[in-house]
Amino acid sequence: MLSEIFNPNPTVFLSPASSSRQRQLSAAKKSLWMMTDDSSDGSEEMDAEEGEEEEIDQDEIFDLIRNICDPEHPTTTLEELHVVSASQIFIGGSNNKPNTVKVEFTPTVPHCGASTYIGLSIRVRLIRSLPTRFKLDIAVKPGSHQSEHAVNKQLNDKERVAAALENPALVKMIETCLTGRE
Amino acid sequence: MDEDFSHSLQKVAELGGHEEEVWHIAWNPAKSLLASCSSDKSVRLFTYNHDGEGTLKFSLATSIPTGHLKTVRSVAWSPSGSTLATASFDSNIGIWEQEQPDEDGHSGEWECASLLEGHETECKSVAYSSTGTLLASCSRDKTVWVWEVQPDSDFECMGVLMEHTQDVKCVAWHPTEEILASGSYDDTIKIYVDDPQDDWFCCTTLTGHESTVWALGWSPNGKYLASSSDDKTVRIWKRVGEYEFKCVLVLEGHDRSVYSVSWGVGNIGQEADPLNLGRIASAGGDGIIRVWDLHENPSSDKPTAKLVARLPSAHGTYDINTVVWCPRKGYQDLLATSGDDGMVKIWKIQAS
Repeated sequence: MLSEIFNPNPTVFLSPASSSRQRQLSAAKKSLWMMTDDSSDGSEEMDAEEGEEEEIDQDEIFDLIRNICDPEHPTTTLEELHVVSASQIFIGGSNNKPNTVKVEFTPTVPHCGASTYIGLSIRVRLIRSLPTRFKLDIAVKPGSHQSEHAVNKQLNDKERVAAALENPALVKMIETCLTGRE
Repeated sequence: MDEDFSHSLQKVAELGGHEEEVWHIAWNPAKSLLASCSSDKSVRLFTYNHDGEGTLKFSLATSIPTGHLKTVRSVAWSPSGSTLATASFDSNIGIWEQEQPDEDGHSGEWECASLLEGHETECKSVAYSSTGTLLASCSRDKTVWVWEVQPDSDFECMGVLMEHTQDVKCVAWHPTEEILASGSYDDTIKIYVDDPQDDWFCCTTLTGHESTVWALGWSPNGKYLASSSDDKTVRIWKRVGEYEFKCVLVLEGHDRSVYSVSWGVGNIGQEADPLNLGRIASAGGDGIIRVWDLHENPSSDKPTAKLVARLPSAHGTYDINTVVWCPRKGYQDLLATSGDDGMVKIWKIQAS
């Protein structure tokens, strides 16, 4: 796994009883990892039924990423570590653009080397679960990382991301973060 | 919202088949062939011609499985049109040639004539010089390689240029001279020339973009260079000295990264107009194709740019990775685009 652990003793927050646990995630159905030749993927069928695009809110997106595990601590979720929260999810991105989602996450320590893996895991989970019309921006919370600009830049470079996901060792690590704890 | 533009883009063809995102496309400069490459590790060649009624038709000629171990990121044709180069995330460059047709007249298979190794990480772009004697490649390893094309598909490395401080995203040769430009994740553009006594070297660096430079396109007359960036702009640089460039125009309007820019000859009827600089097409993460006509300004360094066409959702909600004008006479009003939807689309620009 990671050659060095940056934060061996993170603060773990107990996750509160969540109201959204009662909500059946429609997102679970929308597995859109690969686009298909015919455009009949789940979300578009739903759109046709409802006659309009299904809106998405912070809680739905938070539900998708809360249980991702920190690569350094495979039994602890990003929610428990306060790395992600619903309030750090911005529908409309930074400038209120339609079909844009920005997710900010807070690394556990300012020099956290696992930030890249956390950001990538968030991106992969969301690409697989959200309708393809959403553009995703992932960033560390401003002020929370000493190489903030560098980390953000690589998390949002689609070519670097695509190449990273062709690296078997890295993909294995991300899958571990994603299967984590349900 | 529905501004009237002087031109519109009409869809001529939609070419599917790739199983994953199509990163790049290239028109064969001499034959009726279009190459596309994808994360599915294949290259597809499409052929086009006018049918009995004069309508332009595109069809698949062949699919080349390439054998690259990862995404094929870029394709480039030699000026003669007989050789195809592929650049892959597996760090290698493939050189492809078509076998002679067999006795029955069936087209020959595309075979790998050479494999250029050397880059340490993903190869991002590959390009032939205007005479076809040189090939340039670039990579996340921060280098630009210049190769000399020799007989029998032999390639000799003429230089490994380590000037950028980050990944090099694209390379583009000047339309007539042996001048090479590269765009990088380090937000700069570098220009390289060959010193006859010495080696290839970087003669100038263009700064101004606020983020990664994704693509480059030289103007047909070679006096300008266009660059597109993650900072959502297209910049126009004017060559003001032998190796001196100045940013004279910034084209705004895109909402997300501009992944591709292509500078074509533009309105054919105005080719004789010495002030006509041609037509720029740009596209990227916002899924919108924008086309600007550019004219030299006799009283200033700054050319005039007029937005003549705008097509949103060209590939639906998906990013557009490449936009490229057809270079062949008679087809210069054709524009090809490729996207994350796995599609290649052909558009024709016409006056509204």
